[in-house]
Amino acid sequence: MTFAMVSLYWYILPLVIAITPVYAASRYESWRLIWIHAARLAGWILGVLLVTTAILLLCNTQS
Amino acid sequence: MALREPPVAEHRARRVIERVPGSRSRWFDSPYVSLDLINQTGFPLESGRKTWARSITPRMSNTPVPLRNRHLAALLAWMIPGLGHIYQKRTSKGILYAVCILTLYFLGFAFGQGKNVYWRWVNPLHSPDKFCLHYLGQFFVGLPALPALIQATLVHYGFPTLLGGFMAEPSQNVINGLNSSGRLVDVGTIYTTVAGLLNVLAIYDALEGPAYADLEAEELEENAAETAGSSETNLDRIKVEPTT
Repeated sequence: MTFAMVSLYWYILPLVIAITPVYAASRYESWRLIWIHAARLAGWILGVLLVTTAILLLCNTQS
Repeated sequence: MALREPPVAEHRARRVIERVPGSRSRWFDSPYVSLDLINQTGFPLESGRKTWARSITPRMSNTPVPLRNRHLAALLAWMIPGLGHIYQKRTSKGILYAVCILTLYFLGFAFGQGKNVYWRWVNPLHSPDKFCLHYLGQFFVGLPALPALIQATLVHYGFPTLLGGFMAEPSQNVINGLNSSGRLVDVGTIYTTVAGLLNVLAIYDALEGPAYADLEAEELEENAAETAGSSETNLDRIKVEPTT
């Protein structure tokens, strides 16, 4: 299976996995706080994206 | 001999030094005080006192994280993501930055078949459609993206490209072919650009230290106070007397 066959939505995951620890590491020095903050940020990003996608899908199916 | 009126600089020095231990202001949350700040006040510290002050304030920044030569660290962080932190002895953090940023960059570079990182010297006001906005982000990955700038400069001045045109601006046919080959190239461009922007955060971290280090320092200080029974720092003992 090549990368081109993967749904485009999955490409958000490497982005989130890279962004969240880097952002958290720029805010904190303690590893415990870095991982907590990164996990919370990843949850927020994915949650907002899921909710937004669900709302848009709902709007599309209603029209 | 009568005491003379202390000049303004002396008042300022006294205020700075006395505020540090229990301060809650933005710049003095840390129990550490910048030696730069003491010197900038121009207060005539005695040599012995200055030596003692230097011994308890080894850092040039207000952050409790040792940043060594922070400008050199920032330059190294730009050259190779994470290298500045390794230079600052923040090795594990440097490895985290290097792994995250370089993985994202090279993954995106592979998605773009090595043709999505390039630069073109054009005036963005005259030719906005030819301006490579993505390279403004990619540039901050440092050395891995620098060949694009070198190749574009060579082309701009009429010299032949190096290394078989690696990271040189692709021809319009190649760009059209990439655009028609799917969205993977776009994803690659996003990845490489975001990697560069993430390295801006890493560079800033190398330059200024972590944003909330002071909160962590307070936490550590509280823990130390619990164990030692006192949270007073040595700075409490600094008393500046007017010179006669």
